[in-house]
Amino acid sequence: MNRLFPLFVLATTLAVSSLAQAAGNAEAGKALAAPCTACHGADGNPTDPQYPRLNGQYRDYLQEAMLQYKNGKRKNAIMSGFMQPMTEQNIADLSAYFASLPGGKLGDLSHPPAAK
Amino acid sequence: MTRSLLLASLLATAAFAATTAHAAGDKEAGRLKTYTCHGCHGVTGYKNAYPNYHVPRIAGQNFEYLVAALKGYQTGDRSHPTMRAQGESLSAQDIEDIAAYLAGLTP
Repeated sequence: MNRLFPLFVLATTLAVSSLAQAAGNAEAGKALAAPCTACHGADGNPTDPQYPRLNGQYRDYLQEAMLQYKNGKRKNAIMSGFMQPMTEQNIADLSAYFASLPGGKLGDLSHPPAAK
Repeated sequence: MTRSLLLASLLATAAFAATTAHAAGDKEAGRLKTYTCHGCHGVTGYKNAYPNYHVPRIAGQNFEYLVAALKGYQTGDRSHPTMRAQGESLSAQDIEDIAAYLAGLTP
């Protein structure tokens, strides 16, 4: 039993840290989202097609994309600039906000074409 | 007067042609070229592993953004091993075709 205790601690820590990464507050995100709407649209559906729709996107994908702009894994002059001052909590909140908006026009692919 | 009007209309026509040429993807060709994409983007709720997150929804995404994203995987501005490999196998025409097809979907 005593030998298993460190394992229990490790498992609990892992569970808690993955929960902490997932948590985001949509209300807090809304307060941060004003600059985003200039390009991505008030409802996350931009009018200029060079910017991606955020409305209807998976929350955790939005979070990963923003983290990558922050840490330089994904490069874009505009987005890196906006993400630099953001904390991981800010990014989680923004992701929760944009994923919570109604009226999304994004979907997964369906009906693959027949192989040639 | 006539000459400047002619020049203006020429410029306008050229600008219009340039804009439409930009979105030159062929949707039907793109539909066939998205065969591979379905392996991940066609499975609802499918997740990337390490780190763990949903593979993005790309049906209905904007044309120009899709083109830029695919080119980003080609050049390494975006780092994702699977998408990098996909991107490297695509020509500029393939990318435009795929983007035109995906952008035209209304889920």
